[in-house]
Amino acid sequence: MAAAGYGREGPAPKPAVDSALRRLGVEKLSIGDVQRLEWEVLEAKIRRWIRAARAAVRGVLASERRLCFLIFHDLPLSSSTNTTAAAGSSHDAPFAEAVKGAALQLFGFAEAISIGRRSPEKLFKIIDLHDAIADLLPDVSDIFAASKAGESIYVQAAEIRSRLADAVRGILSEFENAVLRDPSKTPVPGGTIHPLTRYVMNYSSLISDYKTTLSELIVSRPSACSRIAPEGNETAPSFPDLDLADPDSQLPLAAHLIWIIVVLEHNLESKASLYKDAALSHLFIMNNVHYIAHKVKDSPELRGLIGDEYLKQLTGKFRLAATRYQRTAWLKILNCLRDEGLHVSGGFSSGVSKSALRERFKAFNAAFEEAHRVQSAWYVPDTQLREELRISIAEKLLPAYRSFLGRFRHHIENGRHPELYIKYSVEDLETSVTDFFEGCPPSLHNRRRSHG
Amino acid sequence: MPATDSSSAATSLGRSFLSLRRDHIPPPSSDHRAASSSDLEIDAFHRHAADLLLDLLSDSDDLLSLAWTRRLLDSFLICLDEFRAVLFGVAAAHQPLDRLLLDFLDRAVKALDLCNALRDGLDLVRQWRKHLAIAASALAPSSSDHHHHQHAPLLGEGQIRRARKALTDLTILMLDDKDAGGVVGQRNRSFGRAGSRDSHSHAHGHHRRSSSGGSSGSGSASHLRSLSWSVSRTWSATRQLQAIGGGLTVPRAHDITATGGLASAVYTMAALLFVVSWALVAAIPCQDRGLQAHLTAVPRSFPWAGPVMTLFDRILDESKKKDRKHSCGLLKEIHQIERCSRQLMEATDAAEFPLAEEKDAEVKEAALELVQVCESLKDGLDPLERQVREMFHRVVRTRTEILDYLSRPHNAG
Repeated sequence: MAAAGYGREGPAPKPAVDSALRRLGVEKLSIGDVQRLEWEVLEAKIRRWIRAARAAVRGVLASERRLCFLIFHDLPLSSSTNTTAAAGSSHDAPFAEAVKGAALQLFGFAEAISIGRRSPEKLFKIIDLHDAIADLLPDVSDIFAASKAGESIYVQAAEIRSRLADAVRGILSEFENAVLRDPSKTPVPGGTIHPLTRYVMNYSSLISDYKTTLSELIVSRPSACSRIAPEGNETAPSFPDLDLADPDSQLPLAAHLIWIIVVLEHNLESKASLYKDAALSHLFIMNNVHYIAHKVKDSPELRGLIGDEYLKQLTGKFRLAATRYQRTAWLKILNCLRDEGLHVSGGFSSGVSKSALRERFKAFNAAFEEAHRVQSAWYVPDTQLREELRISIAEKLLPAYRSFLGRFRHHIENGRHPELYIKYSVEDLETSVTDFFEGCPPSLHNRRRSHG
Repeated sequence: MPATDSSSAATSLGRSFLSLRRDHIPPPSSDHRAASSSDLEIDAFHRHAADLLLDLLSDSDDLLSLAWTRRLLDSFLICLDEFRAVLFGVAAAHQPLDRLLLDFLDRAVKALDLCNALRDGLDLVRQWRKHLAIAASALAPSSSDHHHHQHAPLLGEGQIRRARKALTDLTILMLDDKDAGGVVGQRNRSFGRAGSRDSHSHAHGHHRRSSSGGSSGSGSASHLRSLSWSVSRTWSATRQLQAIGGGLTVPRAHDITATGGLASAVYTMAALLFVVSWALVAAIPCQDRGLQAHLTAVPRSFPWAGPVMTLFDRILDESKKKDRKHSCGLLKEIHQIERCSRQLMEATDAAEFPLAEEKDAEVKEAALELVQVCESLKDGLDPLERQVREMFHRVVRTRTEILDYLSRPHNAG
């Protein structure tokens, strides 16, 4: 080859390396081009790039290097080498020449991605890209570090990796902020799980899937103070006091995950306050916190990071919300079934005020019907939770009603139009309770009027 | 699109630059209220930019040399740092600022692509240098001693031929896109020769602009296009400059007060970004290089307005000079390459062997100059390339910081 006078310009003309790259799917996009593309499009390109880069670096470029080394290793170096070669090994000048451009083009795309705007949906692809480049750095070093010309390629690749790492950290912060500031405009109907909750928990699950890389990259705990500037009268959420026993849960990454949930809960409080009905607010919190706890329990990685202690706190929170819901929604109704205020002191009658009793029954019926009408449209998505809640309601309602009926029904049945007051049997109530939290209004034929 | 037709560009440019409005726009910081400390900082920023520019202008001999261009970039980076300090130091949560910053960021992204293209351009110059070096080494005495020996042998025919070949290659490589077309389609010409599409007319040519037999039917792709790695075939430095500087309007008084004066700092920084980008495009070869873009009427109240206009004028003047009009780049060293190369070709034209002593001396002297140009390029190219890369990094970092700044809670809406 030397005899043919190819000089010092390398065995493969640039076009050959170029077309090899093109065949691998490496495009020539400017930074401006990349900024303009939609993220979904970029995701696909990143996937392709990762595959292409591996093949390019480990295949094309590595073999170019070997070839150059073989060819030029034995060439006598003439005295004019000093002025012609790039500073550094003259073996590598022709190689670096031929492929520097190709390498620049290859890494140019990754660089453009690394300087893009940081938004939460980018996190996982950016991690993928980061990992791919980190993986390739040793190969890049082998191929390029030998010459001064090629060294800049390695430096650039390392810079890109570093910038991607920064981007990961930045995106995580951005995500946490976005969760905190998610606006609360209209309450989600039926008090069901808010889309934000689903999104955040799915995101958190993915974060735990990417635990390996993320625990290397995330090295500091969330900076709570700088992020949470209370606006107006809100109090800022604070990091919970936890006894972090799990080794995993001591990672900064774990602190971030807990913080994400704390911030989510804080946001959910604002969303809960949008409901006019306080009982619905509590139901909403119950649903959402239960979902959070459920997702944590379901994912071993997530659970390992968040830790059982915080999980316990979450469980406690949704149970508390359930209790508050019951108290708020049912106290008034259950109060209709109290003894107090029904007995008339003294006198020689049986001691029960019939008019008061009639009022009680009417009040109970109205309140119950209202609750039934309204709360059937409320929704508890989790089947088990729904059942538990109904059972809990029934456990309070039915015995109270049964006992009330038992004590006082004959007073009504001895009077006029008992059916106006005793509208429901215990069984009727039991059936009606199954309508609650279905997320749709009860159909007419389910309502039954019992005559005793 | 014609790239380096600087002559027509110059006229339209010259007129726009000179149409400075005697401003009815209030100065960046209003006088009628007590200057707050942020006003003072912003003022200092404007003035410092002006000072740096004046410094650069005072060095008129060295204008557009590699060293001068590095100082230009140094000055830019200093201003960028000060801009950051001012921006993040002055408490402002005002709406117009966000919009202005986003606009600035758009321009900054354009500058990033430009940096990449410029890096390619510098690499191209490096390639030219290699050819020069080949020519120089062909003519060098066999020892590495550069000093003139009394009894050095006469240059031989083989040496002259090798030198001329290298310089011819260089000449072809340096042709701008008017002629290159499909002829000079690949960089490594020694390979192109084998299956050659090269017209043989080039072999004789020290006619720098001899047209090739082949048409530019491929869409007038310049050899730069085939050479550039970082940008696509349709990328254009002209368009990029227009994007960086286009529509940059002087901030309204209302915006200035609403942003605590920061609006004028953002304007200044964007203008500086444009000026530096423009100067770099003027100096360094790049794809579709055109200098038509300009800043619309900068008010004289900005202390840097005068120096900026002077800088534009000086560079434009340079671009209009007879022997620079068709150059691929106004870098002083590029001129030196062209000059030395031409000089040597002329000196060795129709040489008869054995060489007359006079001729031999003439050629050797020209060769010496060649070596000097090679040296200065060798010393200067790498640092400049590093500076361009540094500009890239700092612009990226600033952009990230500003994006971060914009997403902080108190800035929301």
